[in-house]
Amino acid sequence: MSYVGMISLYLAGVSTLLAIVLSTKTLRAKRDSLAKWAHRFGAVSTFFIVLATMSLIVAFLRNDFSIAYVSRHSARNLPVLYKVSALWAGQSGSLLLWVLIMSCMTATVQKMKRYQENHLYLRLGIVMHLVCLLFLVLLLFVTPVFERLVDIPYSGSGLNPMLQSLGMVFHPPLLFLGFSGFLVPFALAVVGLCTGDTQGTWLKQVRPWVLFAWLFLTAGIVTGGQWAYNELGWGGYWAWDPVENSSFFPWLTSTALLHILLLPEHHRSKRVWSYTLIALTYALTIFATFLTRSGILDSVHAFAGGVLGQVFFAVLVLLATFSLTLGVSKRHALRTAGSETTGATLVVGSVLLLMLCAGVLFGTLFPVITRTFAGREVVLDASFFNQLSVPLFLVIFFLMGIAPLVREKASDRKVLPRTLALPVLLGIAAAAYTYSLQSGLAACLAFGLAAFGFGTHLRDLFFPRSRRHWGGVLVHLGVLIVLIGVAGSSVFIDDVLVSVEPGQEITFGDYVLEYQGLRARYGSDQYTVTTTLAIMENGTEVGEITSEKTFWEGRHQPSTQVGIFSTIKEDLYLNLAGWENQTAQLHLQRFALVSWIWVGSWVMYAGALVALLKGGQVKLWSRPIR
Amino acid sequence: MARKKLRILLLSLLPLFVLGFLAFRAFENSAAYYYTISEVQGKDVSEQKLRVKGQLVEDSVVYDASIPLLEFRLTDGNSYMKASYRGVLPDNFHHSEEVIVEGTLHSQGEFTVSKLMLQCPSKYEGEE
Repeated sequence: MSYVGMISLYLAGVSTLLAIVLSTKTLRAKRDSLAKWAHRFGAVSTFFIVLATMSLIVAFLRNDFSIAYVSRHSARNLPVLYKVSALWAGQSGSLLLWVLIMSCMTATVQKMKRYQENHLYLRLGIVMHLVCLLFLVLLLFVTPVFERLVDIPYSGSGLNPMLQSLGMVFHPPLLFLGFSGFLVPFALAVVGLCTGDTQGTWLKQVRPWVLFAWLFLTAGIVTGGQWAYNELGWGGYWAWDPVENSSFFPWLTSTALLHILLLPEHHRSKRVWSYTLIALTYALTIFATFLTRSGILDSVHAFAGGVLGQVFFAVLVLLATFSLTLGVSKRHALRTAGSETTGATLVVGSVLLLMLCAGVLFGTLFPVITRTFAGREVVLDASFFNQLSVPLFLVIFFLMGIAPLVREKASDRKVLPRTLALPVLLGIAAAAYTYSLQSGLAACLAFGLAAFGFGTHLRDLFFPRSRRHWGGVLVHLGVLIVLIGVAGSSVFIDDVLVSVEPGQEITFGDYVLEYQGLRARYGSDQYTVTTTLAIMENGTEVGEITSEKTFWEGRHQPSTQVGIFSTIKEDLYLNLAGWENQTAQLHLQRFALVSWIWVGSWVMYAGALVALLKGGQVKLWSRPIR
Repeated sequence: MARKKLRILLLSLLPLFVLGFLAFRAFENSAAYYYTISEVQGKDVSEQKLRVKGQLVEDSVVYDASIPLLEFRLTDGNSYMKASYRGVLPDNFHHSEEVIVEGTLHSQGEFTVSKLMLQCPSKYEGEE
């Protein structure tokens, strides 16, 4: 199987190169007869990349341990689902998945009707194929994915238990979809500027792709957070870990970009802003890969480093230089004659998002900065990021709350006091209630602003001006729900460590937990110790919570499965820490409102989908752009 | 024209100032050095929070689950440091090569850990 994969990758590389060469030739020599072939070779390269990926998946399923990558990430007894997801458990496999997504995206873009005119699809193809080619070269020569072993083991070394999780199945592909999605706006901008498009037509085609990429990036980040929350020792759903931050940077810049794209067409700095943010977002996706692969920072989610980090750094430098040069040299095309300056709130909000990005970036890179300039490493912990970001977040949420009011026409401003009354009341009530629970100023403001935002968005939720507008309102509401979840679970926390005998009851918050002892379960290469506690509330049993520790043969490290009992009000979090005979040490935690984060994220996805499927000026999959 | 330029300049500097202020404020109590074991051994006992990075000494790990108390030794190749942590033994502890501990220097080079961070170089590349 490895030969099929290897040969496919080579053929994919060659046909990508041919597609680039032929596209360039078509455009240079104006030989339309070549265009067909350029397109075909592009499609062929996608076919071979799919084939290579398939062959690696088949190798995983058929336990072909002659491939080094398979033997390092799989084992005979691994469940089928994880055998498939083991494809992206390591470095080269992740790159293969990534290039697969990018290649499919390139093929889709080239097929789309609206890019057919003026050979736009060929131009876009050149940019996108160049990136694919880089990845293929990496896969063939730097981290060969189909490398073979001389001594073929009977079974592989297996997949780290922490990676045998649904999070591993969903999080990486979603993130890669998001990252790859930003390649299209970047390609559109580059092509637009290179072809001397002074009308800014490229800018009108950018929005659906940004929204598409943003949707998947958001989903990738949220599933990552959910996975880290379920996994012991990863510091909860968000710990300001460098790897987590690295996916947050492009999210912040692309969120700013989505708002800048709402500016009226004749806003004088719309194009400059958009171009800068598109280039920045794409550069940050590359930067994220560099951060996670280079090992220059310590992270709980660390990946093995190596040459790949340096390669991505080189790409990053190249990309930044290119974008900057292009932007400066074509600045006349980025200038607009328009003088309209409305939409100040959108610009201020975007600036705040960028400030947040810069601040978090600074904090994340601080160890590197101090290592380089002061000779020793100074690490900033979560409290730095919290203190830095909370004030900025609060201002952003305030702006978000007033967003529906700012859009009012001047004639409606007279009724503003009446429209404001309900939201302000809601906000004050929520803040006052939070204050009565003895929490700090930040929590009061957070809940107050969330309630205020709900109030201001309500009217638009029921009487939206367009479907696209409704999508935006839904996303905002989703963000507010997430805000409530994050604020609640950061402020209202309860944490105890208890030692219990069988039959003993633990009172925890409003709950009474009944410990009934430990059970052991034996498998072929592992044994598991489990405890299940009955959860009682007001004398009635409302559920149960289970935590277990599994010990694997031939692995030092046990894996702990935490128990989570989730309600709309709070999550109970149980960790079976240790035991002696039947006496167990239990680590019990209570986080308020965690489930709101997951609910809010679904509302955000729904909103983004609504905005995406029924675009305003631009309909996806139809009408070519003039 | 000049006044307009000045205004734009000031407006663009404002976010930087705000950011600088926020970062400076957040700095307090957040920054921590990574000390090496040898450096820690030469230090006086203090309440100051330190962050130490070292290799875990094999077979030095003692864990009493009933308290729970975790004791281990770290080394940087030259000197050793005893560390104790009142908390639950993390799953991947024995497997970690590099350990980062945060806490205070107690007495005679004994370190009381308040936060334990682990690093497994091979974490996501399977066990070799």
